[in-house]
Amino acid sequence: MGTVIEAVATAVAAERPFAPTSLELTDRAARECLRRAQREPAELDLLLNTGIYHDRNLGEPALAALVQEDIGANPGHPPVGGHGTFSFDVLNGVAGVITAAFIADGFMQSGAAHSGIVVAGDADPQPGKSEGFGYRRSGGAMLLGWREGLAGFTQFSLETFPEFEGLFHSAVGWSEPDGHGLHLGHAHHNFLAVERLDGFLERCVECATIAVERFEAKTGVDVSATDLLIASHDDAAFGDLLADRVGISRHNVVHLPEHLHSLHTALPMAAVEEAVRDGSLAAARHILFVCAGAGITVGIAAYENQSEVAA
Amino acid sequence: MDTTTPVATAPVPWMLSEASPVTASGHAPFSSRFAGIGVKIPEPIVTSVDLVRGARHHPHIDLERLTGVHERHVAGPGEDSLSLATGAAREALDRAGIQAADLDMLISCSITRYRDGLNMRMEPPLSLDIKTAIGASRATSFDISNACAGMLTGVFILNDFIRRGVVRRGMVVSGEYISALGRNAAREVRTILSSQLASLTLGDAGAAAVLERAPAGAAGIGITSFTTLAEHSRLCLAYPSKSAPGAVMYTKARTLQEMALEDTPQLLREVLRLSGMRLDEVDYVIPHQTSARAITKGERILSRELGGSPKHMVINIQEYGNTASTTHFLALHRYLEEGRFKPGDKVVLMALASGLEFGIVTFTVDDLVEKYGHGH
Repeated sequence: MGTVIEAVATAVAAERPFAPTSLELTDRAARECLRRAQREPAELDLLLNTGIYHDRNLGEPALAALVQEDIGANPGHPPVGGHGTFSFDVLNGVAGVITAAFIADGFMQSGAAHSGIVVAGDADPQPGKSEGFGYRRSGGAMLLGWREGLAGFTQFSLETFPEFEGLFHSAVGWSEPDGHGLHLGHAHHNFLAVERLDGFLERCVECATIAVERFEAKTGVDVSATDLLIASHDDAAFGDLLADRVGISRHNVVHLPEHLHSLHTALPMAAVEEAVRDGSLAAARHILFVCAGAGITVGIAAYENQSEVAA
Repeated sequence: MDTTTPVATAPVPWMLSEASPVTASGHAPFSSRFAGIGVKIPEPIVTSVDLVRGARHHPHIDLERLTGVHERHVAGPGEDSLSLATGAAREALDRAGIQAADLDMLISCSITRYRDGLNMRMEPPLSLDIKTAIGASRATSFDISNACAGMLTGVFILNDFIRRGVVRRGMVVSGEYISALGRNAAREVRTILSSQLASLTLGDAGAAAVLERAPAGAAGIGITSFTTLAEHSRLCLAYPSKSAPGAVMYTKARTLQEMALEDTPQLLREVLRLSGMRLDEVDYVIPHQTSARAITKGERILSRELGGSPKHMVINIQEYGNTASTTHFLALHRYLEEGRFKPGDKVVLMALASGLEFGIVTFTVDDLVEKYGHGH
């Protein structure tokens, strides 16, 4: 028995006036993901949102609840003996999807849940006012199910390297007109500032290499036997650089088309979707997810691929 | 960490639930228990009278009579979500008698993630700062966000990891520097019909709970059960303010309360059925603290719908206000310090939060009371 990926989907939009919001794109991806798996929203036990940058920087409620309502996953009053959906947000940057899968897999192992969807989505909360926001407007969804006789996700690991915390930083803060706020030049309002320093990619590769080596030692997973590396990072070069360091052929790395390079939390969904499209996922048995981002946080998951993923 | 422990499936009711026993063989490998609970309550106090008196439009609102909130503590200079969380975390570790390095998992559950003033942290997660500050170098860490149900959601997650044997000890922690919403609301509120009125009840606090592995069947956490009634997801929305540091929150409080009161009896009935308890067998119900009136009204409805009443319905909103995700643990900590609990007492923690999130954690008091000098 194991937690398997039943389907993935993504939705992206260009930055333009009246562009879809990150919530709308997340909703769109979730609906498409369910459609591809021929599942109904009402079948979901769990809905976990991992998106960070919400429209207007919504802070409450959990964005997951809005998605649940929008896609119609048991939003109403509880009927006697009926079925419900539990939603909340999991915030761990680019490693959010792996973190949410870790949590969902646990609830499936313990029998509390049989199915769940992990969604992601980011958009510039205030175009024209935010600083340093370079991500593409996007949403993503990954449908997870508990399957008899299949392995699916077998191991997870989350490691942090706080000594490099200063290399990536984002916050919504207030700027005073006298320049004593978060940044100069944005008087009298709250705004998002994303700051990424030089060397972030290189440090992430180093940290991910260490994390993968520890993961291999701790779990016994043979990383060199990886058929497919799904590596997620703000910089598209991360996958190849990590593959070189941990002894995986660059041919086994999922490479996203250029227009998807600037996704953020939805990167793992986009990579799985791309791997389904180019056939590399169907041909792979041993899949390794490695996601690295702010913190530096590295999320790793080993996945034994024994079933078809709809994309 | 071993993440491969297979456990057989059980039927999933309306609520996403974990209850003993859950496995085909009859038992989860382990139980979990609260090993220590800590809080950090800032010293400065703002009374409801002072808050309303300072409001820009001088509304004629008797906030204390309306909500039961006499005063709330607010963060002082240099305090923020992180400092409140770390202060609470340190006390929880001390009460549990363990070192931060003993923690396998740390889950930060704050709605507010303010650092260095009113700068809301987006990335890296606040959990990283907390674990660095307290020295929990081994802990797997991440943030969750689930409005005022955040800490109990964290307990739900951590309890699951402990019961399956994946982790031995972990911490759920939150620091809520949320009083800025009250200050911002005071600029706008004109009448009791204001959509920002609920913000005037908010207070600041940090809370943390250490959970640890216990033998299967031991006293400790019983049922954890959650659901989201998302058709009400837009009844309470919070955003950064456009005119001041911090955030603003718009709440259709009356509708939210009506929906909560309407749905709670049926959901609580399901949890009581799972736990094999009647309501009048519960020693303490600790609901989320939004308003004394709402809690009292809810108690009457529960009694009418479910029959009987819990022995104690806990209300501590008078001194703290609504401290968001930390309210249950402030109440627990207070009652532990005052020696009100005795081993064997049945406690129901009940979350009602924006979303609409509904969650319940039940536990049986054990020798946790000894950590507070009140062994019986």
